Amino acid sequence: MRLTRLRLLLPAMLLVALVGVLSSCGDSGGGTEGGTESAGIPSDFKAPTAASDNAQQGGDLTVLNEGDIDYMDPGAAYYQVTYMVTLATQRTLMGWPPDATEPVPDLAEGQPEETDGGKTITFTIRDGIKFSPPVNREVTSADVKYAIERSLLPGVANGYTRAYLADLVGFKEAEQQLKQDKTTAPDLKGIETPDDKTLVLKLTRSSSIPVIQALSLPVSAPVPEEYAKEFDAESPSTYGEQVVFTGPYMVQNDCVDSSGKVTDQDCSGKLTGYSPGKEISIVRNPNWDGEASGDFRPAYADTITIQEGFSDPTSASEKILSGDSQLSGDFPPSPTIVKDIATGAKFAKDQMVAVPSGGNRYVALNTQEPPFDDVNVRKAVIANSDREALRNTRGGELFGPVATHFIPPLIPGFEEAGGLTGPDLDYIKDPNGDPAVAKKYMQKAGFKSGQCEGSDCDITMVGDDAPPGLKTATQFKSQLEELGFNVDFQPVLHDVMYTKFCSVPTQEPNVCPNVGWIKDFNDPQSILQVPFSGDSINPSNNSNWPQLDDPAINKAIDQAVTITDEQQRAEEWGKIDDMIMDQAPAVPWVWDNDVLVRSENVDGVANLFNGEWDLAYTSVSK
Amino acid sequence: MLRYIVRRVLWGIALLVLASAVIFVIFYVFPSADPAKLRAGRQANPAVIASIREQLGLSDPLWEQFLRYLTQVFTPFDLFGAAEHGGTGPFNFGRSFGSNAPVKDIILDRLPATALLVAGAVFFWLLMGLPTGIISAIKRRSLLDRATMVTSLALISAPVFWLGLVALYLFASDVGKIHIFPGIGSYLEADTFWARCWSLFLPWLVLAAATAAIYARYLRSSMIDVMSEDYIRTARAKGVGEGSVIMRHGIRSAITPIVTLLGLDVGLLLAGNAILTESVFNIPGIGHEIVVAINRSNLPVIQGIVLFGAFFIVTFNLIVDIAYAYLDPRVRYR
Repeated sequence: MRLTRLRLLLPAMLLVALVGVLSSCGDSGGGTEGGTESAGIPSDFKAPTAASDNAQQGGDLTVLNEGDIDYMDPGAAYYQVTYMVTLATQRTLMGWPPDATEPVPDLAEGQPEETDGGKTITFTIRDGIKFSPPVNREVTSADVKYAIERSLLPGVANGYTRAYLADLVGFKEAEQQLKQDKTTAPDLKGIETPDDKTLVLKLTRSSSIPVIQALSLPVSAPVPEEYAKEFDAESPSTYGEQVVFTGPYMVQNDCVDSSGKVTDQDCSGKLTGYSPGKEISIVRNPNWDGEASGDFRPAYADTITIQEGFSDPTSASEKILSGDSQLSGDFPPSPTIVKDIATGAKFAKDQMVAVPSGGNRYVALNTQEPPFDDVNVRKAVIANSDREALRNTRGGELFGPVATHFIPPLIPGFEEAGGLTGPDLDYIKDPNGDPAVAKKYMQKAGFKSGQCEGSDCDITMVGDDAPPGLKTATQFKSQLEELGFNVDFQPVLHDVMYTKFCSVPTQEPNVCPNVGWIKDFNDPQSILQVPFSGDSINPSNNSNWPQLDDPAINKAIDQAVTITDEQQRAEEWGKIDDMIMDQAPAVPWVWDNDVLVRSENVDGVANLFNGEWDLAYTSVSK
Repeated sequence: MLRYIVRRVLWGIALLVLASAVIFVIFYVFPSADPAKLRAGRQANPAVIASIREQLGLSDPLWEQFLRYLTQVFTPFDLFGAAEHGGTGPFNFGRSFGSNAPVKDIILDRLPATALLVAGAVFFWLLMGLPTGIISAIKRRSLLDRATMVTSLALISAPVFWLGLVALYLFASDVGKIHIFPGIGSYLEADTFWARCWSLFLPWLVLAAATAAIYARYLRSSMIDVMSEDYIRTARAKGVGEGSVIMRHGIRSAITPIVTLLGLDVGLLLAGNAILTESVFNIPGIGHEIVVAINRSNLPVIQGIVLFGAFFIVTFNLIVDIAYAYLDPRVRYR
C-alpha cells in the first residue's frame, strides 16, 4: 500500500525530555495488546487490539481525516486509510481481525486447501453472505473470480494484482486479451469455479503463500458481474460510485437511509454517502447477518462518519481529545499534542496509542553511479549517519524505533534478520553514527584522508519540499557534508520526487532521502522483493531506488518466493535482509509507527494489519 | 449597452480558453507528478502505466488533449476522441485523476460552501468597512478616525490563517477557551441552511475582518477626495443639508472604486481565494479542493476549478461594469 499516512506525518522533533518521558513510562492500563512487544513501542502507548469486555452496541463514531481514501472501488483500493473503510465494509477471502499477524478466513469458510505442491489453492465460500442493496443476492465463487479479473482493467488500475497474482495460470493470456479489449474483464483460466461455493486457483509455481496473503487484500472482495459490468465498461470504471458491500457496514447509497434501513427497493445503488475529499457516511448493511455468516467482526457502532479536510493536526487532535465519539484517521497528532498527552499535562495517556505500521524509511544511495557504486563509500555513509537524528525529524521514539535493517517488526524474518539490534555489522551499530568507522570505510574506498575528495564528491539529492521530509533531507545533507560531499539538494513535491526523479533511473539523483516501503501484507516478500530485487528495476516507476542489482540477492529472492514452510521462509528472507545490508544500498533509519488518538468515551481498538483504528471493533461508551 | 455586453461575453469566453491553455502549459512544462504513475501504484510495470496513460488519453499529443478538453467543456461534439476519453460535453470537465469522480460534480459539491462563506463575509465586511470608512472620512483626524485606521492596519497585517486559529482557540465550541461559536469542521455536521450559516459565523468574521479594513481605508481615502470636490461645495452653498450632501453626493461618487474592488474580490473568493479560511475552519469549498488537487497533480480538477474561477471573475467584472452605468450617469457603453 502507498505511504500516504507516512507522507502526512507532521514535521518537527519531539523534545529530548519527551523521549525520556516516553521511555520511562510504566505498564499499560487496560485492554488487550496485540503482539507489539518486539516493536519498540513504549508500554503506555501500546494499542488495544481487542474490544474490552464492556464494549457496547450502538452509538455514532466520527473519524477525522486530513485527506481522502484513494478509491472506494475495492479493486483499486490501496491506502492504509482506505483499508480502514474496506475492513469494515467488505469481506475478503481472507481477513484481518485486529490482533492477527497472519490472515484468517473471512469470506472463505476455512483455511484454503493447498495441493499439487502449493500450485493449487482451493477456497470454499461461506454460506449466507449477501451483497448489500440493490444486489441483495448471496455471494458465489464467480463473484470473487470476477473481482480479480476486473482488477486487471486499466480503468480499475489495481496497484498490486500483477505483483502477487501473476503466477496464476493464464495470466499472460489475460494480459493479451486486454490489449484487444480494454473495458471487458479478461478470463483468467487459472481461476476456476466448479460450483457456486468453490474457488480453485491454479498457479504456475509454488507461490501459494504470497498469493493467499494477497487474497486478504480488497481485490478479493466479491463483485457481482451482472451489476458491475456496465460500470466497468466505462473508461475509467465507475463502479466506485456504486459499490456494493458484504461486510457489516456499507457506505450509504440511494437504497438505504442514514440508519441503514432499506427505503427504496428500485434504487440504483448510487453512493449518496461518499463525497470525495469531504465525507464518507457509513451505515449498517441491512443484508449482513454476522452470526449466520460466521463474521468475526462485532460491529458495535451504529454509524461511522469520516469527515475529511482537517489540515491542521493540532486543532483536529484537540477536537478529538476534548470531544466525544471521535477518532483520528490519516494524521498523527502534532508534537505539541504528543507532549501534552505523554506528560499527562492535558489529556489522559490512554487517549493516544502507537501501532507498528509494518513499514520502513531509508535513504537510497544510487548504486549505479559514482561515488555510491563503491560499496565502501556506501558503508561509510551509513556509518557516519546519525539515524536517531533522522528519526527525530519525524517526531521521536513514539514514531518508531531506529531501523537497523529493512524487515520491520511483526513481519516474519524480522527477528531472523537481527530484530531491533540488527545484524552484526560495524557500520550500522551506532544509531548516532560512528565517524571512526566511517573514516575506515572511506579509506578502504581510496580516500586516504577519510573525506571524499574529487569531482565524484559533487553529488545530487532530490527530496521533499515540505516538512517532515524536508527536515529529514536537510539533516541528511549535513551528515553527507561531514564526509566531504558537496550536495546539490533539489526540494520538490513528494509525488514529483517519486514520479519524475527517484523512480526514473535515467533521472535519478545520487541520493533519495525520503523513500520508504510499507508492507502489503505480513510477509517479508512484500517488503524486500520490489525495493531490492534487480529483476524489479523498471525504466520508469522504479521502486528499487538504490537500483541494487546483485545476482546473488536476485537469485535468493527468486527462490524464497516459492518457500511454503513458514519458519524456513522467515529464515530465508531474514538471510536476504542480511545480504542486502551487506551491500549497504541504503541507510535504514526508522520502522514507522502510526500514532492514533481518540476521545475519552471511545473504546478504541487498533488493527495491526493497517495500523489504523478498526472501525468494526471500536465502540462508544454511552 | 447590449452590444457591449455581447462583446464582453465573447471576450470572456476567449479568456476562459486562454486560462485553460495556460494551466495546460504550466502543468506539462513545469515538473509535476505523472498522473498515470500515481494511478498505477508503486508496483506497476511500464506496460501497465502505458495502458493507463492511453486510457486517460495522456499518450495523445498535447494539442489533441487540449482541443479534446475544450471540445468537452464547450461543445456537444465527439471530436478528438472525446467520447472515448471521458465522454462528450458540453460542460464536461472530465474525471478526477484521483477519485474518478466527475470534476463537475466535485465543483458543484464544493461551490455552495464557498458561495455561502463569501456571501456572509461580504455582508460583514461591507457592514463593518463602509460605515467605518465614511465616518473616518467625515471625522477626519478625530480620535475615532485614528482608532479605526490603526485597527484596520492591524487587521490588514494579520494573516488570515493566524487570525482564524486565534479565533478558533478563543471562541470555538470544541477547541476554544470560551465556547461560543461552532468549531472546526462544524460545516460538515450542519444539515440545514441556518445550521450552515451558524457554523460559518466565525469564518465570516475572520474573512471579513481583513477585507473590511481594506475597504474602510479605500472608502475613507475616496470620500476625502470626493468631499473636497467643487460640486460638493456647490451643494453646500445651495443650502443642501450635510446629511444629504454626504449620502446623495459624496457616497455615490466615492463608492464607485469600491464597487470595482467588490466585483474583483467576490470573483476571486469564489474562484478559490478563500483557501486559508476554508483550510483553517475545514470548510469543504473550492479553495480547499484546489490545494488538494495541486498537491496530487490532479490536472482535471485544477483545470476545472481554474475555469470556474475565471468564469466568476469575468462575470463579476461584467456585473461591475454594468453597475457603473447606474452609479455614475456619465458612464455610457457602446
